[in-house]
Amino acid sequence: MSDLIAAILLVPLCSAALILFFFRRDADTAAKLSVGASAVAMVLALFALFQNIEIDAARISWLKLGDFELSFGFLLNGDARLLLFVVTFVGFWIHVFSLGYMRDDPGKARFFGGLSVFMFSMLGIVVADNLAMLFVFWELVGFSSYLLIAHYFHTDEARAASKKALVINRLGDIGFLLGIVLTQVRFNTLEFAELEQAALAQPELLTAGLGFLLICGFVAKSAQFPLHVWLPDAMAGPTPVSALIHAATMVAAGIYLLVRIDFLLVQEVFSLIALLGGAMALYAGFCALVQRDVKKVLAYSTLSQLGYMSATVAIGMSGLAMFHLATHAFFKALLFLGAGSVILGCHHEQDVFRMGGLRKRMPWTSWTFLLGVLAISGVTFTSGFFSKDAMLLAAYEENLPVFVMFLVGALLTALYMGRLHWLIFHGESRSKAARQASESGLTIIAPLVALALLAVLGGFVSLWPESLSSVFVQELEHVHESTGNRLVMTFGALAWILGLWGSWNLYARTRDEDPLMKKAPVFFRLCESKLFFDEVYDFCIRRPLRHVAKVFEALELLFISGLMVRGTAGIVALLGLATSAVHRGGLRVYALWFVVGLVVLLGYALAWWEF
Amino acid sequence: MNDFKLYAEANDWGLLVPEISLAFGALLLLCREALRKQGRESGGGLAFLLQGGLLVYFVARYLFFDPRPDSAGESAFNGMIQQSFPADVMRCFFLGCAFLTSLFANPGLRERRLPQAEFHALVSLAAASMMLLVQSNHFLMLFVSLETVAVCFYVLVSYHRGSPYSLEAGLKYLVFGALSSAILLFGIALLYGTAASWSGGTAPSDPLSFTMLEQFVAANSDSLAVRAGTAFVLAGLAFKLGAAPFQAWVPDVYQGAPTAVTAYLAVASKSAGFVVLFNLVTGPLFGLREFLIPLLSLVAIITILFGNLGALTQTNVKRLMGFSGVAHAGYLLVGIIAAIGMHPDVPEKSVFWAIVFYLLSYSLASYGVFGVMGVLAPTEDADQPRSLYSSLAQKQPFLAFTLAVGLGSLAGIPPLAGFIGKLLLFVVAFQAELYGLLAVMVMGVVIAIYYYFAWIRETVFPPLPSLDSSDKEPQVLWSPQFPSLLLACILGLLTLTTILLGFYQSSLGQSF
Repeated sequence: MSDLIAAILLVPLCSAALILFFFRRDADTAAKLSVGASAVAMVLALFALFQNIEIDAARISWLKLGDFELSFGFLLNGDARLLLFVVTFVGFWIHVFSLGYMRDDPGKARFFGGLSVFMFSMLGIVVADNLAMLFVFWELVGFSSYLLIAHYFHTDEARAASKKALVINRLGDIGFLLGIVLTQVRFNTLEFAELEQAALAQPELLTAGLGFLLICGFVAKSAQFPLHVWLPDAMAGPTPVSALIHAATMVAAGIYLLVRIDFLLVQEVFSLIALLGGAMALYAGFCALVQRDVKKVLAYSTLSQLGYMSATVAIGMSGLAMFHLATHAFFKALLFLGAGSVILGCHHEQDVFRMGGLRKRMPWTSWTFLLGVLAISGVTFTSGFFSKDAMLLAAYEENLPVFVMFLVGALLTALYMGRLHWLIFHGESRSKAARQASESGLTIIAPLVALALLAVLGGFVSLWPESLSSVFVQELEHVHESTGNRLVMTFGALAWILGLWGSWNLYARTRDEDPLMKKAPVFFRLCESKLFFDEVYDFCIRRPLRHVAKVFEALELLFISGLMVRGTAGIVALLGLATSAVHRGGLRVYALWFVVGLVVLLGYALAWWEF
Repeated sequence: MNDFKLYAEANDWGLLVPEISLAFGALLLLCREALRKQGRESGGGLAFLLQGGLLVYFVARYLFFDPRPDSAGESAFNGMIQQSFPADVMRCFFLGCAFLTSLFANPGLRERRLPQAEFHALVSLAAASMMLLVQSNHFLMLFVSLETVAVCFYVLVSYHRGSPYSLEAGLKYLVFGALSSAILLFGIALLYGTAASWSGGTAPSDPLSFTMLEQFVAANSDSLAVRAGTAFVLAGLAFKLGAAPFQAWVPDVYQGAPTAVTAYLAVASKSAGFVVLFNLVTGPLFGLREFLIPLLSLVAIITILFGNLGALTQTNVKRLMGFSGVAHAGYLLVGIIAAIGMHPDVPEKSVFWAIVFYLLSYSLASYGVFGVMGVLAPTEDADQPRSLYSSLAQKQPFLAFTLAVGLGSLAGIPPLAGFIGKLLLFVVAFQAELYGLLAVMVMGVVIAIYYYFAWIRETVFPPLPSLDSSDKEPQVLWSPQFPSLLLACILGLLTLTTILLGFYQSSLGQSF
């Protein structure tokens, strides 16, 4: 069956290669190719899932140096199957959406090529059976994310954002790579299966330092504190990219990494992750509350939901985190695509205060978006309700501070998502673009409907095929048996009711500016500043580094460029001139060479004899 | 009748079928040329057919279907010839070189209205003698085949007889070839003389045979005459390799010779020299290893530096290939030194494999580059400035790609075969603890990247527009011809092999 997995991996890669080499100018073919590739990958993945396969033996050796070996292989356990389904399924619908969204984009072929590269690399992360292979694909998703954020490279914003995303991810990846090296040194293997056994056999080898290094990758990729600053800026990319990469799949890869290597992490590391995750769930909620750009609101919401997932992994309920990862992928992709449809309808207007009243003009978008809002707020019986409720319960049982943060986070989620919906679809149209908006075409509506269905129904465990639900079903039953069940459900319901009701009161009749600005100016300013992270980084890191960089630049100019590069090049060039000067073509001179050579050889023979 | 059967079983001629068929093929070509009607040019078709057919047959027979079971080999003609699997590989290698040379040379010969049959006959004869050379186990055999090769090359180098460059090259090659033959013969004579008058031990009955010389040299490694003889033999061989300080002839001869002959000289003749050197230093001269290692190291260092530095300032690409060929000889010498300096635990075969793979990657890349040069060569073959290749990528992308891959492989850029070749040499040099030589090799490779890439840059990137627009030179409207389909296929095949061998080669090395 590993051939099947290899095929799932190779189909998007072939599509990317074909687009790169042959269809760069033929955008329509490129788009069809890329969508076709994602469809084939989805069908193959579904086929693989219903076969309920487990692979952990197929492996090819890639590099071998003595005892050290790097190999490529597939490990398809429950977590991997679930993510495989999410990536291919959501990925396919987002490809379809892109057909409509990017229809008139001049860089369409490049965009679809980038999507295919991304699908290839993301699927590689999902099926990788060792840390080295995972890291290779980890870097590849980073690279494709960089490419796609910079799709509108003629704008300063997109250029800066792509650079920021790349640099911050490098920071995390350095730590991750060091962690991988340390793992290899300690355990002499990088295979997940062997590592798990080794970690069980020798728990004394697991240290907090190793854990902290390994989670650096997660922190950067999932945009957790303190490396979260790149994700809101990454919204400068096209909306389908934000939906696929920066909401549904790539940022969730960090969570997946935690789940895959949880046996390598010790309690201290988990405590830290739980704290950071809970804090992120809160912090990002506050930030989302005051954003004007619809995509930024969704970006902060993603940060907050990722906080939920990581904290849940940290309190030992990784199945529940994977469950929320799946439902979140459905409704967050839906919300982003809905936002994309709105943006398209309003001629690339992204400011929610310049929208409003779109309910009648864009009914399909409006209703599906509403379903997404209900799901993310955790309204009872939507998919978000089931996964969030389970996480709240788990936190209630294991870690009370995290539970409180989760609960406030849930309230905030309902508040800002309600705000978003009322501002976009209700009230008066507040700009000419909003007044002239019209519903989008079929390629945009169809993915919205498909994802809305899953966002609503995805929480019913009985609807999941067993090969996928086996990951979380036990933990789900376990937390539902706990004593706090009813209490937590009440709290959860209160949170979304309060949030949606509050947002209706605050925002349903808004004119042109944020009512919060008048009612609570200090709070508003504080939220808007995002706690000054960008400013603090600028002051503490960028400026001092700039001075250091100047010193290095001067040294480089003087010693490396000047003395070493130019200097050696000059000497070599002179020697070269001298050498070719000897070959002037004279027969007698050449004969002299022969004689000299002979004399030297003979002299050497004689001298040797003397010794 | 019975006697005849006995004779047929006892004779060794069957072992030399490839060489004999090549020689007869050459005779056949000449006979047909003599019998052809006046005014009708005979093409190279028959020659390609002969060489190509033999190549396919012998590669299939000796390397794939019926390889020699044991690399210990068998001795024939009273110890004159020593056959083994590595020698078979080299025989097929020379056959391949001959085929490529004939193929590449033919369009140029037709264009210049030079006789074709004689050329191909000479190429075949040279190949046959090189094939004998790598099997020789006796100094007499070695010298005779070496001289046959040299005589063929004297004619081949000056084959463009209308060109003063070609004639000059032929003259220089003749003078220095004769000089080096004399030196080699003198060295052989010294060894022969001392060995024949040796009274100790089991006196060698045939003092020119490698097997017997090996015992003698090992017992008399402190004799001055042995050392001097060895030094002279090495000097004679160094001429063939183009190793310093006997490299002076290389740039001039490479430049003047017809491009295909330059390739033949650079690849086949040099490879033959290296295999002979390898056989000598691991065979009869092995007893002198302490004497040989410093000597050859010095030669290798000078050769690498001299070749690379000389190539740096060349603007004529044929001269550049000449100098760079000297540098490659230097790298291969390091492999030879590794073979004698290697720790006895490491099998000799791994070093030989490194050398053979280097020769293979070098020949693939060189024939690719020389093939493109042959296609683009102006009427005066020796006059090939680098500017001739300006913007080739726009005019003939296929040729430019072939050239770029060939040059990249020669420079040792991953993932091409040349990189792996250098890597294998580095590995054996490291295993033999030749750290100083390694450092010199690395320096040489760095310098080499500069001049190879300057050529690639000329090919791929369009020249900068001149700032001074007043003295606009009349642009030479030069549009290169696309080669014939056969030639293009062969060039494509060479390029493809160069790329593929960069990715996968390890199982080939198991055969040794």
